[in-house]
Amino acid sequence: MSTLTTTPQPLAAAFAPPLRRALSEYGVVLALIVLVIIVAVLQPAFLSAGNVSNVLAQWAPVGIMGIGMTYVVLTGGFDLSMAATYALAAVVAATLGQTMSPLAAFLGAIVVAGLVGLLNGLIVTFLRVNPFIATLGSSLIITGVALLLTGNRPIQVVFEPFTVLGRGSLAGIPLSALLMIVLFILGGLILAFTSYGHNIYAVGGNREAARLSGIRADWVVASAYLVAGICAGVAGTITASRLSSAQAGLSGQLVFDVLTVVIVGGTTLAGGKGSMWRTAVGVAILATLQNGFNLLDIDAYYQNIIKGVIIIAALTSVDWSRFSRPRKASSSKSTQSSISTDTL
Amino acid sequence: MALNREPSMALNVSGLSKQYPGVRALNDVSFTVEPGTVLAVVGENGAGKSTLMKSIAGAERASAGQIEVFGTSLIAGNPRSASDAGVAMIYQELTIVPELSAQENVYLGHVPSLFGIVRKQQLRRNYTAVAERVGSEIRADTRAGGLSTANQQLLEIMRAIAHGRRLVIMDEPTASLGPEDIERLHNVIRDLRAKGCSVLYVSHDLDAVLDVSDEVMVLREGTVVARATSAEWTKKALVTAMLGHAPATAPTGGNRTNMEPTVVRLDNVSAPGVEMKSLAIRSGEVVGIAGLVGSGRTRLLRAIAGAEPVLTGSMQLDGKEVRWPASPALAWSAGIALAPEDRKHQGLVLDRAASWNIALGGFQLARRGGRITAGLLKRWADPIARRVAFAPNRLSALAGTLSGGNQQKLLLGRLFSRPLRLMLLDEPTRGMDIGAKSEVFAAMRSSAAEGRAVLWSSSEIQEVLDHSDRVIVCRAGKVVAELPRGATVHDVLAQSFGTTELATATASSHASSSLHIQENQQ
Repeated sequence: MSTLTTTPQPLAAAFAPPLRRALSEYGVVLALIVLVIIVAVLQPAFLSAGNVSNVLAQWAPVGIMGIGMTYVVLTGGFDLSMAATYALAAVVAATLGQTMSPLAAFLGAIVVAGLVGLLNGLIVTFLRVNPFIATLGSSLIITGVALLLTGNRPIQVVFEPFTVLGRGSLAGIPLSALLMIVLFILGGLILAFTSYGHNIYAVGGNREAARLSGIRADWVVASAYLVAGICAGVAGTITASRLSSAQAGLSGQLVFDVLTVVIVGGTTLAGGKGSMWRTAVGVAILATLQNGFNLLDIDAYYQNIIKGVIIIAALTSVDWSRFSRPRKASSSKSTQSSISTDTL
Repeated sequence: MALNREPSMALNVSGLSKQYPGVRALNDVSFTVEPGTVLAVVGENGAGKSTLMKSIAGAERASAGQIEVFGTSLIAGNPRSASDAGVAMIYQELTIVPELSAQENVYLGHVPSLFGIVRKQQLRRNYTAVAERVGSEIRADTRAGGLSTANQQLLEIMRAIAHGRRLVIMDEPTASLGPEDIERLHNVIRDLRAKGCSVLYVSHDLDAVLDVSDEVMVLREGTVVARATSAEWTKKALVTAMLGHAPATAPTGGNRTNMEPTVVRLDNVSAPGVEMKSLAIRSGEVVGIAGLVGSGRTRLLRAIAGAEPVLTGSMQLDGKEVRWPASPALAWSAGIALAPEDRKHQGLVLDRAASWNIALGGFQLARRGGRITAGLLKRWADPIARRVAFAPNRLSALAGTLSGGNQQKLLLGRLFSRPLRLMLLDEPTRGMDIGAKSEVFAAMRSSAAEGRAVLWSSSEIQEVLDHSDRVIVCRAGKVVAELPRGATVHDVLAQSFGTTELATATASSHASSSLHIQENQQ
C-alpha cells in the first residue's frame, strides 16, 4: 500500500515541459546575461578590460573559497569557519613572509589552513557534530588563535616579491584572477569527471546508500572540509600578498559572500545537487551586481539589502515549480496525512 | 434487551471485503467483539490482518461491508469517524513525541488550556487519573523520549484511554518487548478489559496471544477460518489453522553437490540482536534466511556486510582467515556486499540516473580516458543491466522514477558489476510482482552459478524455501536452526515460534501454494 503513494514528485518533474526544465536548470545563466547587459548598457565602462580584470582580482578570494564551499555544500555540509581560516592563513603567510621566501610562506599558510579544514572534517564526521555548530565553534577557535599570534596588530611585509601573487599580472590578467580561473576549472573537472567527485555527490545525495555501496563516506565528507580549508588558505594568501600585510580581524562577513555565491548559483544546501560552473556563475552575478552598483554610484547600504533579497529569491525559485503545479494531488494528500494523525 | 438501546457489541464487522489490484486481501469477513473482551487475530504474513485492522481504524477503505463500533456505523476509509466511535489504533511504530513530557504526550493536541495558556494543574490531574486507571507509574513530567519502548507504548494506551476510546487495536505490540515488559503490557490489557474496554490484539507471538486473549481468530487468505476461546487453542493447532494444511516445498533450481569449495565460513558471530554459531556457504550455493518480522534477519546480514559493528565473529574467505569487515567499504574490498532491504533510503540516490546508481561506490570501473561521464556510465552499465533484466533504454531514467522491481535490479547490477565472493540480499523481492521476482531469482541463481556464495532473506517463508539450497532460521536475534532443502513452511514456523515438536508432527506434507500471497508490509 505504501508503495503506491510515494513518488509523485520526480514523476511530475520528468514530464515537465522542456522549456521549463531548461529554465530551472540554466536560469542562473540567463539571469547573469541579463544582468551584464543591463549594467553594460547603463555604464559601458563596465566591460572595459581594466574594469573586468580589476573585478576578477577583487573577487578572487571569494571565488576560490566558493570552490571549497561547493565541495562542502555538495556533501550536505556547511563551513562557517572558512572566513576565520582565511584570516588565519593570511596572518600565517605574513608572519612567515618576514623571514622566509614568499613561496615557502604561501605554502606554509596553505598547509596550516588545510590542516584546519581537515580538523573540521574530522569533527563533523567522526565526532558527529552538526556542521553548522562544528564550524561555528572552530571559527571562534581559529580567530582566537590568529588574535593570539598577532596580538591583533597588523603584520606588515616589506619585501617586494611577497606582493607578486596579489598584485602581479600575466599578459594583462591579474595573477590572482588567473589562479581563481585555473582552480575553478580544476575543481570543476575533479567534481564532474573523477570517481572522487562522484563520491562527493553520492554522500550528499544519500549518505547511507553511499556508505553501504562501499564508499568511505566519512572520509569523503572530511576531505571536502580539507578542500575548503586549502581554498581558504589560498584565498588568505592572495589577500595577504595584495595588501602586503595581514590582520586577524580581516574577514568580516566574507563567509556570507562565499555562501551566497554557492547558493545563488543553484547548488542546494541539502547536498548532492549542484556543480562548479554554478558557483562560477554565482561569483559572476555577485561581482557584476556589486561592481554595477559602484559604477552607477548606488549607495553601499542598498547593496546588502539587494544581496539578501537575491539569496532568498535564489532559494525560493528552486521550489516554484512545485507551487505552480495543478493541485490535483491535494485531496489525496490530505486524506493521507489525516490517517497518521487522526487514528489515535 | 430491545428496550435498552445500549449496543451489545463493541465491534460488529459484517461482510467486509477489500480488493487490491490482483489480490483479494479480505474476503467477506464477519465477526463481532463483545465489550470487555480481548480478541487476538493471527495469520501468516499476507493473510489480511493489517488490511482488516486498518479498515477498522479507517486507514483503509474496504471495497464492501459494514463496520459498527459500539453501535455506530463507521464511514469507510474515514479515520475521524472511527476515532469518534471509540477506535484507537496503536501501531508498531509508536507516535510518541520524544521531547515532550509524558503528560503532554498523553494529551497531545488536547492539552487543557484557557485562552491558549496551558492549565498545568488540570493537565496533571487528568494525567494522574488516567495513570491510575491503567496502573501506570510513569511520572507526569518525565521526558517521553527517555522512556523504554514498553513505557512509550503504555503512554499510547493512556492516550487512547484519555480520549475515551473503548476499542483498542494493537498491531504486534510485543514485537520489541522483553518478557517482563510483555507481562506488564498484558496486565494493563487485563485491566482495560475489566473496565469494559475491548482489545483487538494482532500478533505473531503465539505465546503472548494465548496468554492474554479471551478468544483467538485465525485469518487465512483474507478469510476467517477459525475462531475459538483461547483455552481451546494450542500453539500447534494455531499454526496448523494459519497454514490450512502442512505445505511442502516445491524443489526447483540446481542440485548442489557437497564437492564445491567453501567460499565463506562464519563462526561465533555475535552483535546486538545477532547470534550465530557457525555458517559455511559453498561456491554456487544459495542460502536463505527465514524468520518472522523482527527476528534479526536484517541485522545478521548487516553485521556480515560490515554495516553494524560485531562483538565477536571470525570469518574465513576461500579458506583464508580474514579480519571481520569493520565497515561496508572494507567488506566490499574483501568481496562481500549487501543489497539493503530499504532500497529508497539505503540503496539508491533517487534523483540520479539508473546507470549512475549501478556504478555507485565503484565509479572508477566506468572510467575511460581518465574521466567518468554520463555517456560512459551508460555504456558501461548496459551489459550489466541486461544481466539483471533491466531495460537498458531506461538507464538514463532517475532512480526515483523506477518501480520497486527495477530499483532492486539496480542494486543487483551494482553487486554484479564488481568482483564479489559473497552476495548478501536483504528482502530482494519485497513489494514485487511475480514476474519481477522470478527475474531476481534467476539473477541470484546465475550469480551463484559463477562460483559466488549467496545469502538472502525474505519474509515469505515459502519463497525462501523454494529458492534456496538451505535455509537458516532466525528467532529473536538468534540463528536457531539450519534446515536442508525439502524443509517445509511448517518446519520453519516451528523453529520461528520455538515449538519444535511441530517439526516432527507435520513431516507428512502436501503441496500448497497458499503461502504465495503477496505480503503486505506494515
